[in-house]
Amino acid sequence: MSVANALFYLLAALTVVAAAGVVLLRNPIANVLSLLFAFFCLATIYLLAGFQFLAATQILVYAGAIMVLFLFVIMLLNLAPGPKAPKLEEVGLPMFLRRKSGVTVVIAAALLLLGASAILGTQSTGVEAAGAMPREGIDAIRPTPGTNDGLAAEMFGRYLLPFEAVSMLLLATAVAVVVLAKRNRPGDRSA
Amino acid sequence: MTVPSSHLLLLAALLFSIGVAGFFLRRNVIVVLLCIELMLNAANLTFLAASRMHSLDVPGGRIDLQGPIFAIFVIVVAAVEAAVGLALVIALYRRKQTVSLDDVVELKD
Repeated sequence: MSVANALFYLLAALTVVAAAGVVLLRNPIANVLSLLFAFFCLATIYLLAGFQFLAATQILVYAGAIMVLFLFVIMLLNLAPGPKAPKLEEVGLPMFLRRKSGVTVVIAAALLLLGASAILGTQSTGVEAAGAMPREGIDAIRPTPGTNDGLAAEMFGRYLLPFEAVSMLLLATAVAVVVLAKRNRPGDRSA
Repeated sequence: MTVPSSHLLLLAALLFSIGVAGFFLRRNVIVVLLCIELMLNAANLTFLAASRMHSLDVPGGRIDLQGPIFAIFVIVVAAVEAAVGLALVIALYRRKQTVSLDDVVELKD
């Protein structure tokens, strides 16, 4: 097993642990930092898989902008850690399953099993089954030449209209966020 | 990296399931938004894995770019969703001094 592969499995495990931390930790700040760590691991996985631009975007936009926004709001609202949920030992298994949280865990586990079986059952279709070598030999040391060029050409060629639509979406969002978060002064008639 | 693409898909499925579980388990609006971000990231990973499956590792081979392009669009939508969601959280907190979904039951009662 090559170093890149071992690194992938290590990063995948770390990502899953960090994602579990997002759900299980009680302190909102710890949740955000856990998700931040998961995003960095995912960015490294993108890099290993040969998607350099996506890795950079992941760190710039997700880690740099979105997570800072979350941290900012949490600190602005000065949120305290939430109350502890009842543990499995305290309420017993039947009561635990009767609670909504128990049902949720079962649903999520069933969803995961369904997805995993679908993935493992259909992995020998498509290009990989057609006898062609899939693009598996790419690692961070040997980046795909031209991927980012191609990405730009596609983005401003075939996907120009969606690109413009997304920029309009961003503009509309900026206006909407100002309206939503604006403080309503007494005597201000705009709701 | 010579990991089979199905392992990337499995990681994405795991992340998505964890996100779904958190979405339904947690009552804090901000953590629910975080779980949505996690699910969007799982979707991104799926796009990239699909792109990898449809690319050929030969000189001059076709490299599928639809996956990365759609992943970029997903990132933009995630940013928009986070901005609007957090603005709603601030408006909610201003009105009710809470971020717990258990306290927002106007439409249920």
